[in-house]
Amino acid sequence: MSPRSTAARAERRPIPAQAGIGLRFPHHQAVADTRPAVAWLEVHTENYLGGGTAPRYLDAIRRDYPVSCHGVGLSLGSADGLDRSHLERIGRTIERFEPGLVSEHLSWSVVGGHYLADLLPLPMTEEALDIVCGHVDETQDVLRHRILIENPSSYLRYRHSAIPEWEFLAAVADRTGCGILCDVNNIYVSAQNHGWDAAAYLAALPPAAVGEIHLAGHSTRRLDNGATLRIDDHGSRVIPEVWALYAEALKRFGPVPTLIEWDTNIPTLDVLVDEARRAAELLDPVREKATHANAA
Amino acid sequence: MPTLLELQRAVYRNLTARDDGATAYIVADEIDAAARLNVYRNTMIASLTTALRLSYPAVHRLVGAAFFESAAQIFIAAQPPQGACLDDYDPGFADFLAEFAPAAALPYLAGVARLDGAVSRALHAPDAAALDPGDLAALDSRDHGRVRLVPHPSVSLVCADHPVDAIWRAVLARDDAAMAAIDLGAGPVRLLVQRRDHGPEITRLDEGAWRVTSRLCAGRSLPDALDAGAEIDAPALLAAHLVNGVFTAFAVDRAGDHSIMEDCA
Repeated sequence: MSPRSTAARAERRPIPAQAGIGLRFPHHQAVADTRPAVAWLEVHTENYLGGGTAPRYLDAIRRDYPVSCHGVGLSLGSADGLDRSHLERIGRTIERFEPGLVSEHLSWSVVGGHYLADLLPLPMTEEALDIVCGHVDETQDVLRHRILIENPSSYLRYRHSAIPEWEFLAAVADRTGCGILCDVNNIYVSAQNHGWDAAAYLAALPPAAVGEIHLAGHSTRRLDNGATLRIDDHGSRVIPEVWALYAEALKRFGPVPTLIEWDTNIPTLDVLVDEARRAAELLDPVREKATHANAA
Repeated sequence: MPTLLELQRAVYRNLTARDDGATAYIVADEIDAAARLNVYRNTMIASLTTALRLSYPAVHRLVGAAFFESAAQIFIAAQPPQGACLDDYDPGFADFLAEFAPAAALPYLAGVARLDGAVSRALHAPDAAALDPGDLAALDSRDHGRVRLVPHPSVSLVCADHPVDAIWRAVLARDDAAMAAIDLGAGPVRLLVQRRDHGPEITRLDEGAWRVTSRLCAGRSLPDALDAGAEIDAPALLAAHLVNGVFTAFAVDRAGDHSIMEDCA
C-alpha cells in the first residue's frame, strides 16, 4: 500500500553532520516500513518533479528523516543558457519538499535543447568559469536557496583547459557564495584517470565551503589496448582507498554530512545501511571531538 | 581554441552521430579521444534506453531486450530528449516504431507503444484535485452552454486498430493463454487512460462515448460535446467521468484546446 499525503507538513530539517544514504525507488517501501538507522536521505530531484506515487512516498518519508535534493539535470555548464522551465520545476519541487540541502554538479548535459543524460566535463577555462558562475547565481536566485556544487568524475580532459579543476571549483564557491559537495570517490576516480594527486586536490578545497561529502563504489574498465579507466558507476561498495581518502577529507574539513550513493545493481537496503554505518565509524569520532572542542 | 558552445556542439555531434570533430579538443594519451568519448556515449545510451524501457514495458516484453535496445539506440540518436526529466521521454517513440521497418511484422506494436506511453504519462503527471460535480451544478443555468471542462493532467485518449489493451495486459502479466486468445481482427479500440488512487486505469469507450469524451477533453463546450453522443446517455457518461476524476476544473466561455485528443475518425 502506498502512503497517502496528509495536510500535516514536515518542517524543513537541516542535514546533520552524520551519515545518510541515497533514496532510490526500489527502497521507497522498505524505508517507509522499516525506518532504517540512517541519519538522513538524499533523492535525485529529477525523480520527484511530477505527481503520483513517488512524491507521496517522499512526503511520508520526510516526516521521519531530513532530506536533501540532489539535481542531475540542470546542466550548470551549458553555454547556451539554463533551461528555465526545468529550473522552475526544480523550484516547485524544493518548495514542496523543503530539503535541508540542494545540490548540483560542475558539468554540462544540455546543448541546443538536447539532454545527453550524462554529466559531461567542462573545459577548465575562464569562459566556462564565467558561464558556470552566472548559472549558479541564476539558480540560487530562482530557488532562493544556496546550492552545493559537486566535483564530477571524468574520463577525458580538454587540451585548452587552463585552470586545475580544484581551483575552478574553489573559484565558483568564492564568486557565487555556493558551497562545495566534495565527492571523495569522484576525486579518486578522476585522479586515477588523469594522473592527479588526490590528496592535493582535497587540500586545495576551501574547508569552510564544503557542505557535504559523497561516497560510492566505482569499477575499473580494461580497454582493448590494455589501458584502464576507472568508471564511476555507483554499483558496488566503497573501496578501501576511497575510505582512506575520506578519512583525510574529515581531517581537513571536520565533520560534514556524508552520503552513500548506489545507483546501479542496487542491493537490498541493509547493504546501504551497512555502508552508512562504516562511514559513521569514521565520521562520528570527528564530530564528537569537534563538539567537545566547541564546548571547551 | 573552441568556444564553450562550439565544444559542446561538437561533443553532441560525436555522441549522437559519431562525428569526430570533438576529438581534436581532447587530450589523447594511451587512451585516444574517441575511446574517452565512447564512455560518455555508452552511459548516455544506457541511461536513455533504461528510461525508455521503464516507460514502454509492454513493448520491451513483446520485442525482447535485444530488439528493444537496437531500436532504442536508433531512436535516441535521432531524437535525444528535449529536457532533463526522463519521465517525459519520449512520446515520439510510438511514431518511430510505427515507421520502423524491422517491426513491420508486429502491426499492433505502435498501438501498444501509444498505450505504454499514455500509462507512463499517467503515472508521472502532476497531481490535481478532481472537479467537484457540485461546483458545476451550482452554475447559473444561463452559463451551461458556455462551460468547458479541463481534463486531469494524467488523462490521455488512445485509439488503435488492434485490441492493444488486451495485448498490453496479457504481455505484462506474462499470460500466454490470454495472449493466444486475442483476436487481432476484432477491430479498433478506443481507450481512456488515467491515474487513479490505486494506479493507472485503462477504460474502453464505445464509439459514442469516445466522441463525447474526446470533445470534452479537447475543451469543447458541454452542449457541443454531449450532442455528439446522441445514441448514448451522454449526461450519465459525463457524471461517471466526474465521479472518476477525469476533470479537474471548468471554465466559462473561454477558448481551450488541450490537444490530448487523438484523431480517431
